Amino acid sequence: MSHWSDTLPVPSGQRRDQVPRGHSIYPQLLEITLHLRQAMREHFVQLTSRQGLSLEERRHTQAIREKEALLSCLICRMINLLQSEATSDLELQVPLPSEDSRGDVRYGQRAQLSGQPDPVPQLSDCEAAFVSRDLSNRGIDISVFYQSSFQDYNAYQKDKYHKDKNTLGFINLGTSENKLCMDLMTERLQERDMNCIEDALLQYPDWRGQPFLREEVARFLTYYCRASTQLDPENVVVLNGCCSVFSALAMVLCDPGEAFLVPAPFYGGFAFSSRLYAKVELIPVYLESEVTVTNTQPFQLTVDKLEEALLEARFEGKKVRGLVLINPQNPVGDIYSPDSLMKYLEFAKRYNLHVIIDEIYMLSVFDESVTFHSVLSMKSLPDRNRTHVIWGTSKDFGISGFRFGALYTHNKEVVSAVSAFGYLHSISGIAQHKLCQLLQNTEWIDKVYLPTNCYRLQEAHKYITAKLKALEIPFHNSSSGLYVWINLKKYLDPCTFEEERLLYCRFLDNKLLLSRGKAYMCKEPGWFCLIFADELPRLKLAMRRFCDVLQEQKEALIVKQLEDAMRE
Amino acid sequence: MFTLPQKDFSAPTTCLGPTCMQDLGSSHGDDLEGECSRKLDQKLPELPGVGDSAMFSPDTSYLSSRGRMIKWFWDSAEEGYRTYHMDEYDENKNPSGIINLGVSENKLCFDLLSWRLSQSDMQRVEPSLLQYADWRGHLFLREEVAKFLSFYCKSPAPLRPENVVVLNGGASLFSALATVLCEAGEAFLIPTPYYGAITQHVCLYGNVRLAYVYLDSEVTGLDTRPFQLTVEKLEMALREAHSEGVKVKGLILINPQNPLGDIYSPEELQEYLVFAKRHKLHVIVDEVYMLSVFEESVGYRSVLSLERLPDPQRTHVMWATSKDFGMSGLRFGTLYTENQDVATAVASLCRYHGLSGLVQYQMAQLLRDRDWINQVYLPENHARLKAAHTYVSEELRALGIPFLSRGAGFFIWVDLRKYLPKGTFEEEMLLWRRFLDNKVLLSFGKAFECKEPGWFRFVFSDQAHRLCLGMQRVRQVLAGKSQVAEDPAPSQSQEPSDQRR
Repeated sequence: MSHWSDTLPVPSGQRRDQVPRGHSIYPQLLEITLHLRQAMREHFVQLTSRQGLSLEERRHTQAIREKEALLSCLICRMINLLQSEATSDLELQVPLPSEDSRGDVRYGQRAQLSGQPDPVPQLSDCEAAFVSRDLSNRGIDISVFYQSSFQDYNAYQKDKYHKDKNTLGFINLGTSENKLCMDLMTERLQERDMNCIEDALLQYPDWRGQPFLREEVARFLTYYCRASTQLDPENVVVLNGCCSVFSALAMVLCDPGEAFLVPAPFYGGFAFSSRLYAKVELIPVYLESEVTVTNTQPFQLTVDKLEEALLEARFEGKKVRGLVLINPQNPVGDIYSPDSLMKYLEFAKRYNLHVIIDEIYMLSVFDESVTFHSVLSMKSLPDRNRTHVIWGTSKDFGISGFRFGALYTHNKEVVSAVSAFGYLHSISGIAQHKLCQLLQNTEWIDKVYLPTNCYRLQEAHKYITAKLKALEIPFHNSSSGLYVWINLKKYLDPCTFEEERLLYCRFLDNKLLLSRGKAYMCKEPGWFCLIFADELPRLKLAMRRFCDVLQEQKEALIVKQLEDAMRE
Repeated sequence: MFTLPQKDFSAPTTCLGPTCMQDLGSSHGDDLEGECSRKLDQKLPELPGVGDSAMFSPDTSYLSSRGRMIKWFWDSAEEGYRTYHMDEYDENKNPSGIINLGVSENKLCFDLLSWRLSQSDMQRVEPSLLQYADWRGHLFLREEVAKFLSFYCKSPAPLRPENVVVLNGGASLFSALATVLCEAGEAFLIPTPYYGAITQHVCLYGNVRLAYVYLDSEVTGLDTRPFQLTVEKLEMALREAHSEGVKVKGLILINPQNPLGDIYSPEELQEYLVFAKRHKLHVIVDEVYMLSVFEESVGYRSVLSLERLPDPQRTHVMWATSKDFGMSGLRFGTLYTENQDVATAVASLCRYHGLSGLVQYQMAQLLRDRDWINQVYLPENHARLKAAHTYVSEELRALGIPFLSRGAGFFIWVDLRKYLPKGTFEEEMLLWRRFLDNKVLLSFGKAFECKEPGWFRFVFSDQAHRLCLGMQRVRQVLAGKSQVAEDPAPSQSQEPSDQRR
């Protein structure tokens, strides 16, 4: 896009001595404007983050937000213009073509980019203009996409609830983290065997992961996935998180613009991962909550639906390279039976599709009447060279800050290609040692950790579902995971994604962070995901805020209906 | 243009052997068919997904075309390293194994580091370290990094934690910066010879190319030393890139330089930065060896110490613990940039380049311990580096082999051109294989995109007994080499190009 670096360089001998002083007002103006932007942002944050507002005031807040967006947009355009002038105002003058229009060019391009299908809230052009010209288009895209997805999460990070220090802070029931066993993990990780510093841990590693860790992962998965034969450490690649594994897989299995099928609703992080680096599209296979003749369970995945989505995508000229399955499912919390899993795998084989199976919640099944079957437990896989399994410690061991994810695949080519990303997604040798120790200790895992974790998940789940029942809020009765998938349709009038967003904002205004269905690419507005794997006092307070918001929302709906009736 | 005072050039640390000056008749052949890193460059502009992927095993049906390219990258670049790993030297278990003088790692201070990392302050575990955190890095660590860099880079004003982004190593940082600063197919300028792995780092995700600023060993014109970077050469390379239709977005500078072991003076640095500003280029300054300057007389200055940066919004500084603290396996790297948009964009990718919370805590403890660093670690590390350097340079002098090294980094840039009768890269490769056959792994000049065949990088930062044995093996090869120079090389399956630091 921008033409500026196309200009031929001027040989260094041809300096212009000095630029007249009068020309350099732009840098100063730029500085002032940047200050102004900062001040404005702060002002708006203050305006919109007050507690305990009445309904009227909330509407007002919404209006303020809209104004803020408009002002931001205008200021950003100013900054873009000023920046172009300020940077051209060098002591070394180079002719810059079409200087004035540059801000607008960028602006226009951004608008196109944000027009792409998007699992997260659509970005307004104003937001896009917040990012400077120093970045590439994809840099802007990444930045804006990230900010729009994690803005509220970042607000939470800065203003976390604390029972003594910050009682008015955010409570986060929106990020899937297991905070129930921090005591056990903290204790375990402090034990003596964890602290080992050997030379080899401080040197360049095997980029696939240290051999000792890959061996341990193979052994661990053989045991916990009930693999029919011993899994092979050579089929393991270890990276710093499951999203890194997914990103690397998307890179090596797809070319830019190609696609994976994913049953929706699904974990929004995948949309993020496939888009950021790999530029791979996720095509949702929409599932429905309503039970019908063909849909015997809510959100049921069938081969027919997969086939339909695939053919439709092909009809639109899209090249589908694979299918992504999350088992246990996120956010629905169901488990695929071995039979249905087999059917999906056979479907994939029929169409030469890769299958990426994310089993990151495999040890977080809290309903004892349900048995999870890992794809690795299958006697024979329909297409083992196209079946790739992801697992990590973030959820099952509640250590998302540890950054560990593993790939298991029989396909040596995929192993090699993903290993190349070891450079960019490597784990510290010290952390690899700790992980190895953690996974090795089956006795502690079986006798201490898993039973405790399961019990605490059950208790938290029981508490939250009892509350939901009392509030007469429908939810999907799940057996695994850290979340409940709840239906707040009756609080939306009309039942649209815009109303869903407003309700989400209302929770946010009450310092409660939830995830809404849109972020999971759910087809029906009104669904929310509640993460319950938190300590009871926080959970209780969160539910109090939750009730308050719904009460307000109910009142607001009544007022609205009355107003509508009056108007008629 | 600024010229270095003569005395800098003749300073004792500038170990330029006498033969070097005489042997400088440039004899670089371009007959490199089959040479791996060259093929690589030809492929880069086409990727991804271009039809001609025959070289990336076309019969495979599982990977995408970029996936095949990536796999090829991995298979070829790792070969030399893998050969080494299959037959690693061990004093007791495998005394005839390969000695590694090819990978730039500091193996001199593991005793000090393991002691420090085993102290009780390192073992803290708390819930916040185990949970999702700020993707830029925990604030406590970014604060420590800012303080650390302020102190050791001698910045005129305190550096700010909000300008710091923490990632799992320099490789990730190159990748992230390439992605957010360039579109696919665009390029960074880089003076050669350079640390070759950057090619892969900027290419894997970013699909960004490198446009070379070729430097040579001959001292001509206003140059005062071999492989000198000048603004003229930068201008020329930039023009050339433009004329080939390559869009250049930035300039990468490695200071202290890898593999030359050289440093840029503040004046030179200033000139390059002004050049970059003139063309609105970003400058990535990789200062990963900044505390590994073991000759104090060299007078190293970080770019962060400059009173005024010509274009602070486009100057991005990298540092990591892999070299200066000899912990390449720890995976800790950091970006310092005043440009908040760049910091935010890089942080947006940090989800994929995150560092364990426990390790972040340990790094903060390490960087905070100024007493230990200043009084124990740095003096000891420098003394050991200097001793090892002295040993290898003495050996080379005794062999009458010219070399370059000014007292920074872990390596000596060695001129073995007189051992190549025809002066081709093929011969360079054969010589490299001969070294490997004699169980010593070195890095050859082509892997650093050196223009002249015959240069090798010797890493000296290893324990004395391994170093002695390694040099002994080098001597054997060179002694034999002079007699059997015309022999056909034994056919080998190993592909070279060890592209590690």
